[in-house]
Amino acid sequence: MTLRFNHLLLAAMMLIATAAQAGESGTTVKADTLKAAPFSDAKVIATLPSGAKVEILKKDGGWYQVKSPQGNGWIRLLSIRRGGAKATSAGSELSGLSGLASGRSGTGRVVATTGIRGLNEEQLKAAKYDEKQVTLAESYLTSRADAKKFAASAKLAARQLDYLPDPSTGESK
Amino acid sequence: MKTMTIKYLAFLCLALSLSRAQAFDLGQELRNAARDLQKPGSSKVLGGYSEAEEVAIGRQIAGNLLGAAPLVPDRQLQKYVNNVGRWVASQSERPDLAWHFGVIDSRDINAFAAPGGYIFVTAGLYRLLNDEAELSGVLAHEIGHVIKKHHLKILQQSKIVDLGGKLIGKQVGGDEKISNLIGSGAEIVSRSLDKGAEFEADRIGVVLAARAGYDAYGLPGVLQQIGHTAKDDSSSVALLFKTHPHPDERLARLGDAMDSRFDGIKGQTVEKRLYRIK
Repeated sequence: MTLRFNHLLLAAMMLIATAAQAGESGTTVKADTLKAAPFSDAKVIATLPSGAKVEILKKDGGWYQVKSPQGNGWIRLLSIRRGGAKATSAGSELSGLSGLASGRSGTGRVVATTGIRGLNEEQLKAAKYDEKQVTLAESYLTSRADAKKFAASAKLAARQLDYLPDPSTGESK
Repeated sequence: MKTMTIKYLAFLCLALSLSRAQAFDLGQELRNAARDLQKPGSSKVLGGYSEAEEVAIGRQIAGNLLGAAPLVPDRQLQKYVNNVGRWVASQSERPDLAWHFGVIDSRDINAFAAPGGYIFVTAGLYRLLNDEAELSGVLAHEIGHVIKKHHLKILQQSKIVDLGGKLIGKQVGGDEKISNLIGSGAEIVSRSLDKGAEFEADRIGVVLAARAGYDAYGLPGVLQQIGHTAKDDSSSVALLFKTHPHPDERLARLGDAMDSRFDGIKGQTVEKRLYRIK
């Protein structure tokens, strides 16, 4: 009997999980290949044309796992524009993928308690200098050494990487 | 020969603009300018200010911006963004600048950089973030503006354009001479940089975040989120969209620039540590 109940619970949980994953729709912004795995040299499943509709299932680094009429697979994150017509049952689409990517589906977003004011050009132009606030902002300074410790505590290690060339000029800056 | 002429012109512009500002030690500026001119391709010719002057200008812009939207009163939050920001800035060419970061109390979705390393993210943008890698990407984009001196350069340009124009902002507060330079309040942060500068800051942003050990796709993730949010709440991104190319265009450019270069580079998202605004 208990076993049966557990089964039901499991089934219910799986249903919820599937509902959460049937997340967000997306559209390809350019033609790109659908791969069997999130690597550039993975097997090509299909080539999606620009403007193809997909369903985003999961994110991994620079890749989205998607469901498409041509099959399921991985496509470069930057080849997809998120959003489309499809509304999800689990609240707004805003909470859809972000929750999915971070495993926080269903928690929803905290309603803003601060940050009620906007910040438009007129407000910026009319702004009066606030010395107290600058001093306060400066009081939170983190030293280079402390930043390094902070990084190490999340096992973040610095690495060498060149800046990206500008594709429109072919020159590196 | 051609280079000589260009340099001479640049020098002339600099001298002209300085004579208008008069705020700074002209002799020293000219010595600095002369020194800078000897370095070919130095961006300092355009920037034109010493580091101390750059910081003084940035500090005043920061003070004006904070006058419009103060810091979110949450010490832990502010300390957290300074930790992340300083670590990312440590991967840049200016690791020893006294970098300052803050989250400001506004529902607008935006981020701002002022010269000298003053960087602010609105609470509206902060709330969109899913992990620390995304925060690192946003801050790294702004760090890119600072290290490339994009805002200093528009100040320089506006001074040249404004030659003969009226002086404004006498009682704005802070340093009057700098007020004369930057104009009313924090208006300067609502001015658009050219698109090329934004694309450049995006390219720098993904690299600095990746150098710091983060997932390089944090910034692209935020841009996708912003493009998406815009459909539901256009007022919160009005200023951002006015001053920046559309996120779709930025993503397309980033896609071309990143291509497959980050394929072998796995980074961390550091999702659990992201500080949540209460």
